[in-house]
Amino acid sequence: MVFNSLPFVLFFLIFFFLYWFAFKGNYKLQNILVLGGSYFFYGWWDWRFLFLLIGVSALNFLLGIYIDKTESTARKKWLLYIGLLQGIGGLFVFKYFNFFVTSFIDAFAAINISLSIHTIRIILPLGISFYTFRTISYLLDVDRGKIKPCTDWVVFFSYVSFFPSLISGPIDRAGLLIPQLQKKREFDYEQAVDGFRQILWGLFKKLVVADNCATFTNEIFGNFESLPASSLLLGLFFYTIQIYADFSGYSDMAIGFARLIGFNITKNFDFPFFSQNIAEFWQRWHISLTSWLTDYVFTPLSIQFRDLGNRGLILAIMINFLIIGIWHGANWTFVLFGLLHGAYYIPLILRGKIFKKKKSLKGKLVPSFTEFRNMVGVFLMAMVGFVIFRADNISEAFGFYGKLFSSSMFSVPVISNRSGAVITMLFIIVLFVIEWLGKSNEYAIGDIGTRFSKPVRWGIYYLLVVTIFFFAATGKEFIYFQF
Amino acid sequence: MDKNEVLIQLQEIFRDTLDNEEVVLTFDTTANDVEEWDSLTHIHLVVSIEKHFKVRFTSKEIQSWKNIGELADGILAKK
Repeated sequence: MVFNSLPFVLFFLIFFFLYWFAFKGNYKLQNILVLGGSYFFYGWWDWRFLFLLIGVSALNFLLGIYIDKTESTARKKWLLYIGLLQGIGGLFVFKYFNFFVTSFIDAFAAINISLSIHTIRIILPLGISFYTFRTISYLLDVDRGKIKPCTDWVVFFSYVSFFPSLISGPIDRAGLLIPQLQKKREFDYEQAVDGFRQILWGLFKKLVVADNCATFTNEIFGNFESLPASSLLLGLFFYTIQIYADFSGYSDMAIGFARLIGFNITKNFDFPFFSQNIAEFWQRWHISLTSWLTDYVFTPLSIQFRDLGNRGLILAIMINFLIIGIWHGANWTFVLFGLLHGAYYIPLILRGKIFKKKKSLKGKLVPSFTEFRNMVGVFLMAMVGFVIFRADNISEAFGFYGKLFSSSMFSVPVISNRSGAVITMLFIIVLFVIEWLGKSNEYAIGDIGTRFSKPVRWGIYYLLVVTIFFFAATGKEFIYFQF
Repeated sequence: MDKNEVLIQLQEIFRDTLDNEEVVLTFDTTANDVEEWDSLTHIHLVVSIEKHFKVRFTSKEIQSWKNIGELADGILAKK
């Protein structure tokens, strides 16, 4: 049941009615509904994985309480390790087991030793990378004394499985979401309208921009060996836009649905393509994941390595990005993707540029030449990285690079549906113009409620709805569901 | 050395390390209040502070400070 499907609309309508009318004023009943609704939503895909979700929630709920209760430091550590072992172990079994086995066999085959270890057929439970990161950060925060453990099991189970952000994030921290689940929620008209507006914007990004781009990226990446470099460049440009519009559009919808039921969840994108360098890009791209890794991986590591100076910082960055890479999946392409982005930081660190804050472009209508050049530079670096991200394996990625950097770059791109490509390009321009004008807001059209009169506002909503109906490409799954 | 003296010296270190003469610290200041203070500059600040006050903190101590006041207390406790 994806957000932009009829079953979800029906589910949410019933949920919304029960939540705000039948259970009005009783947050405990509303929480039970959130939990029941989340399990229904999750079970719609595959009910078998509900057992895992419930088991993980129960274990971490108890561990949180016992970590806080226990006086002995050694015991606290052991309880924390059990939680970490469950989280990381769960990811390992479901996500990485076969990858390690086949890599192991390949490594031995390279030195002419043949191993017969069998891989096992494992289906990846949807959203496991997202909810595991929630439970791990919860236990670490309890252990560090940053938060008190949650003693209401309905609240905790709802935190782990909160349906707006269960499948693809944002990865909410316990310190943000649990207190909201523990207090009364009143229906707020303005907040609900804002939620709807953000959903509408997310739908535009996903259905109109991302899905139309997907038509071309699938065609171009599927046949890249027989196409000229100019087509590959166009395909790569479309893919870079697609992945942004797809994932940030999904995040907008998740945040919007959460707002409709009275919750403020974590912002996930902050106009990353208007960044001035790659470090700023990663502070604005998939924020809930990068800030998670900053808090629980990068900061502890950089403290450990602090006597090594810049070398220590580079080491911490490389490990951090290696994890960002493999978080996406069990494939050497993701390892390389992470390492490439980590390597992008090295010149910034060595030149000391990373420590100088760039002036924010927010509120600026026209960028300077240098600012514009920096933005283009960041975009190109992201494009280069997304070749590896998209490829099925390393040799395919290098095959793509080989074709891309060739003389046919200066030919007219070969593409089956030219007018479709032109229209898609126009939508991309519309997206970027609106995002540029709205870059000081929480999301691009976040301020139109206060900025325009009612008729203009409704005109914009109407135009968006009509555009979505007429130009939405059909049947494309969200890219981040596979992670 | 009292806590106020530590605060004044910390402010100097912050201004030097973050290359911003306008940084003003109070005991309640947190990383959210100083634009240049992020996860990357944080580690430079820690190194400069340890060097200046000739102290050494554990990872746990460094990650437990919630504001400048707690950092100042941490420094005084080591003196």
